[in-house]
Amino acid sequence: MGRVYIVDEDVEGYLSKLCSQQQAGPVTGLLIGQCSAQRDFVVIAAQTPKDEESAEKPIDKEWVSEHARQVSRMLVGGLTVLGVFMITDADAKDTITTLRQLVFAVENLISSEQKWSPADDDVTDCVTLHVNPKTRKTVCRTFDIKDPKSAAKPADWKYQSGVGSCWTTVSCWLNVDLLIPLPDSRNTKESTQKGLQEGLKVWTRQIESAVCLIDGKKLPEDSELTSGQKRNVRQTYTAQLLTTGDEQRSADVVHPCGGSVSVRGAVHCRAFLHKLLKRDAISTVATRVQILLDEPLASEEQIKDASGGKQQTEELCLPLRIFCSLKASWSLYVCDYQFSDEGLSETVDRLKEMLDVDAAEEDLDTTQEMTAEVTQRSVPTEPPVETIEELKPKRNNYMGAFMAAAAALLATAASMLYLSDM
Amino acid sequence: MVVADPTTLIIFRVKGSLELRCQLDSTEASHIQKVLSRTFESLHAQMKSESCVFTVCNTPVIIWPNKDVFEGITPDSPCEDVLQRIQSDDPENGGKRATKKKGKKDLSVNVISLRLMMEVTKPGPLSAPVISKTVQKSHFLSATLPLDCAVRTHCKDTIKDVCDQLLEALTQQLCEMEKVMLQHMKGSTLLTAEPLHFLLPEPKGLVTVVFPAGVPDKELEAQRRELHQRFELPDDRPYFRRANVYHFPNEHYKDGYLRNPHHALTHPTLENGKVFMVQGIYSYHHYMQDRMDDNGWGCAYRSLQTICSWFQQQGYVELPVPSHKEIQQALVDVGDKQASFVGSRQWIGSIEVQAVLNHLLGITSKIMFVRLQWWQLNLRLIGVAGGGVLAHTILGVAWSESTGQIRYLILDPHYTGSEDLQVITEKGWCGWKGADFWDQTAYYNLCLPQRPRVI
Repeated sequence: MGRVYIVDEDVEGYLSKLCSQQQAGPVTGLLIGQCSAQRDFVVIAAQTPKDEESAEKPIDKEWVSEHARQVSRMLVGGLTVLGVFMITDADAKDTITTLRQLVFAVENLISSEQKWSPADDDVTDCVTLHVNPKTRKTVCRTFDIKDPKSAAKPADWKYQSGVGSCWTTVSCWLNVDLLIPLPDSRNTKESTQKGLQEGLKVWTRQIESAVCLIDGKKLPEDSELTSGQKRNVRQTYTAQLLTTGDEQRSADVVHPCGGSVSVRGAVHCRAFLHKLLKRDAISTVATRVQILLDEPLASEEQIKDASGGKQQTEELCLPLRIFCSLKASWSLYVCDYQFSDEGLSETVDRLKEMLDVDAAEEDLDTTQEMTAEVTQRSVPTEPPVETIEELKPKRNNYMGAFMAAAAALLATAASMLYLSDM
Repeated sequence: MVVADPTTLIIFRVKGSLELRCQLDSTEASHIQKVLSRTFESLHAQMKSESCVFTVCNTPVIIWPNKDVFEGITPDSPCEDVLQRIQSDDPENGGKRATKKKGKKDLSVNVISLRLMMEVTKPGPLSAPVISKTVQKSHFLSATLPLDCAVRTHCKDTIKDVCDQLLEALTQQLCEMEKVMLQHMKGSTLLTAEPLHFLLPEPKGLVTVVFPAGVPDKELEAQRRELHQRFELPDDRPYFRRANVYHFPNEHYKDGYLRNPHHALTHPTLENGKVFMVQGIYSYHHYMQDRMDDNGWGCAYRSLQTICSWFQQQGYVELPVPSHKEIQQALVDVGDKQASFVGSRQWIGSIEVQAVLNHLLGITSKIMFVRLQWWQLNLRLIGVAGGGVLAHTILGVAWSESTGQIRYLILDPHYTGSEDLQVITEKGWCGWKGADFWDQTAYYNLCLPQRPRVI
């Protein structure tokens, strides 16, 4: 008794299109959707972007995994990369071997990035689909990602119209207010990253144990909000999250640090199942922080500056979350992150490249999050008034080590970085 | 431990934690004080904000006290209505009344537990987060403040009244925590604060005191002295040691021993009678507990354990209740027994009880050698009567001046069953006995431990 994959007919159309394009080599891509205990729903298929250099090379596991990693960041709570497809007229046995390698590589990379704790009842099966472009025959198999020796299990692949049309959307604006110590005074990217990851871990725990309210009522974790059998009816709910403080207490109240990082603002979270809303919240914050940290290392001179014992303060906005609706008649979203210096055209390009989605700028919803006003901070921080000269903040310190190499990119946004006069 | 007018009393207890986090540019005391005060101000702002939420445990009731939003109950409902909303049958939480025994006064106090939470979602759209990084060799202060407030209410109080009282108590507690943290600051070492509840004699009732966390009782004598003065308490017995912390009726004792089984009894009504009973809390120790088979020889050991539990739970000593081996070792250490005594199954009596109390707990006891026919006792604590082959614990006495009738409240360590309160009280293992309980011809040693005069 294998798994059942209910696939939207638009995915069928997309795969058909890829078959008829008669490409030279095999075409790989990702299958995206939502899984539940009994069955899985596939709503998006996206081919792996072409890598110019590897046009003639065999399938590159790292390339496909990296594509999956980038795509995961664009998925909204509840949607995940369920597996991998391959369009090729090669032998079925060879193909399944390749697909197996791909799917394990993809899922391992994605799960290594995820910051939320998996639940015991999470499904660990991933799907592989082999489509023969000439015969259009599909072979669908699943593998258990938890078991490296897992054998291919047969699964059902069924096309249906309107898959996901009765999904409800749960959303909220989550206020984030964190103050995280930095581990040491060497202003390296590593120490910043380490400090941020540690601090986010505590916050993640709080969110995971938060109480979720829909319409002011607690819902048990396994209940589902559906609009019943009504199709094409957009059902959205706004959720509220309540947290308690961290129960763990460390003995040291005061300990030395190399500075601190504060993250203040709100993120818009969305999910197709209310119990996955928290995961979306954790992912969106972690993803944005990671996007910032993925930028190249700080330049040498900025590191030197920082270690001179002087206080440096820099501010940067996390990128905004933009939503793109994929279906006119029901809720199916993906998202992208936009820096303030980027235009909507970059988002349109990324949607095309990563998800093979043709979106127009008008389809993009930029209203869910606003750019922060960096010059006005609601909690005034007092500059230290010590007599020691070097502890005075450098008020004219534009663009510190934090986003160094991206400085060129953000030069136009450098106005964010000055402190207001207190 | 009788609480005034229990049938109309409800305690609302709210617990929660707030995080104290700030960067300290210097560890100089005045700077720390300034930063700490500013951080506490932001915590006060949180408590007054619309994000502040009370959830009532085991009910669907959720309250936003600062914006008058009540979910699952209306604000002017009498607070006893919350009792009816409690969904779980779990005796650990909520305010389930103890089962009423026929003809017995219901001494249970209803406790309703609430959690303090913060709503982290707001209506949007809102500004995306800003990361602000400060690089400077400095210090970081990070502590979790465990808020815990309890208010006593009458059933006629409305939910809104209760919430207002709780908010006030929480605000007050935050102020006290700030004070305590600053008071106990030594250089750059800061301690976090912990609130503890104590049940003082009426009419003062339940009070909450904030102590510095982790500081042992012996270093807090000055604080206790000040508290005794403030609350006009006698300064010869402890009220504010950690062992004196009030045990809420809905909290389970993790060690599994029964506390004060005599509370489940109906006390004798004698003509012109006076009843004297042990004050405070003790645990019932008896044969076969702790997987120790001492059936037939361990009765005085068990009585001794019961007495030790009383001294520990009243805060006179910090020593946990000693095991049989530890008791035997103590007797060897004072030279009363040979080394071979340890691990043996030898009986001990009141004299040995006195020696162990003195050696292990520093408690002195009087020994009275009596023939128990009729004696007038004004017992204010428990005593052990050991004679011949039997030892018992006397918890109280009821005596009629006009008729001469006398009853003894006995806790019998010879019980070998499990911690079943019903069996223990119905079968008389803890019960009122007549004078005929004692062997009229025998002589008994009565060991009367004396309360030390300390706070």
